Amino acid sequence: MAQKLSWTELRRALAVRAGVSEKTANAFLTALSSQLTEALKRDKQVKINGLGIFKLQAVAPRKSVNVTTGEQIIIEGYNKVTFSPEAGVKEMVESKGERTTAKGEKGKEKREEPVDPLQKLGAQAEEIVDILEDLGQSPKKRPAKSKKKEKLAEQPKEPEIPEVPEVPEKPAEPEKPAEPVKPAEPEKPKKKKKEHHFLRDVLICVTLLLILLFGGYFFFRSQLGNWIEHLLQAQPPIETVDPAVVPDTPAVIEETETEVKETEAAEPEETPTAEMAEPVYEGWITTEPMHKASRLAWMSKRYYGSKVYWPYLYDANKDRLANPNMIEVGTPIRVPKLSAVQLDTTNAQTRSTLERLKKQALER
Amino acid sequence: MLTKEFIGLIADASSLSKKDAEHLLATSNAIIRENLMAGKAIQLQGMGVLEIKERKERVIVHPKTGERMVSPGKKQLVFRPMANMKEVLKKA
Repeated sequence: MAQKLSWTELRRALAVRAGVSEKTANAFLTALSSQLTEALKRDKQVKINGLGIFKLQAVAPRKSVNVTTGEQIIIEGYNKVTFSPEAGVKEMVESKGERTTAKGEKGKEKREEPVDPLQKLGAQAEEIVDILEDLGQSPKKRPAKSKKKEKLAEQPKEPEIPEVPEVPEKPAEPEKPAEPVKPAEPEKPKKKKKEHHFLRDVLICVTLLLILLFGGYFFFRSQLGNWIEHLLQAQPPIETVDPAVVPDTPAVIEETETEVKETEAAEPEETPTAEMAEPVYEGWITTEPMHKASRLAWMSKRYYGSKVYWPYLYDANKDRLANPNMIEVGTPIRVPKLSAVQLDTTNAQTRSTLERLKKQALER
Repeated sequence: MLTKEFIGLIADASSLSKKDAEHLLATSNAIIRENLMAGKAIQLQGMGVLEIKERKERVIVHPKTGERMVSPGKKQLVFRPMANMKEVLKKA
């Protein structure tokens, strides 16, 4: 839209097209512009077939505030000229818009092509490989204490390959170091793709790996040592202190058993009551269809006086409800009669039962 | 005001016959349309500029459902009146 059809161009084109002299064309156009203003003044609206409607729109006076002084001022009303194109012209322009957007997209593509990102990436990758080689050599010279360090030196060049041997190399390492190392792996390729701050990232990766490896190495060396010591210590006593050990373990087992029994004893009390609570309702108060904007909690409040009993409602209707938060409208909800114990929130059992039912309901 | 009346006004002001004025108006409109389609803005001396403006696509929200949609961008034919014309018509 940078180009403009100037007045003279229009005049010439009009003269040629209409087969009139430029003078008459000029007379016509000047008359057009002056008469448009006049006509707008008179009628507030001018329709021009083949183009659209020019309208004079009144803007009402409005109050405003002087920004600097805070004074209230009245902006006077005025008229503004609006133009609404004819339906045909509008369509034409819109269809033209589609075409131009298509052109614009093509233009964008063309703009991207000359950049040739692949070539750039390739060049950068080569540079990075060189730098990595340099980086890789330096650690080799410096420590060269353990095989792992050599591996480290190699790692930056081919980050994925050397790490695979690492894992088998340290079979004693269970999961702790292996896990952190693995997450480091996927990071590297990502960074390669990004190519942003690649060097920095690689350096960070290398240092991280170093720390991890050293940490893992020392950790497991000590662990292994301890373990071996344990083994060495444990093996001889087994023969000698067998009797001592044997009674010990059963004692422990007994303890745990008693504990288990205790917990079981505690649980059974709950579970039976819970089981009792679940199936044994004293009867049904009513069956109410779920209506819109109703909640189990609200029904609970209506029937039992408090929202906290909603898990009973859910429990009583488990078979037809999937999610306590998403109950379909119209689902019949059975409202069970609850015993005094079931309604007693000061009762620990009742509370735990409610908790459990709630959990069940929410886990569904 | 309808086109016919407007043509009458032009004919009076330019001492052309109504027929000629009508013909000239139709041709000038055709020229304007063609040039607009060619991506040109039309400078109308004493009146203003007719040009095609691009409306960018934007996110719109359905007021009732709160649904979010993207209203596609489009091209619009707009008229920018000249300062002169604006001033004259302000107090009309």
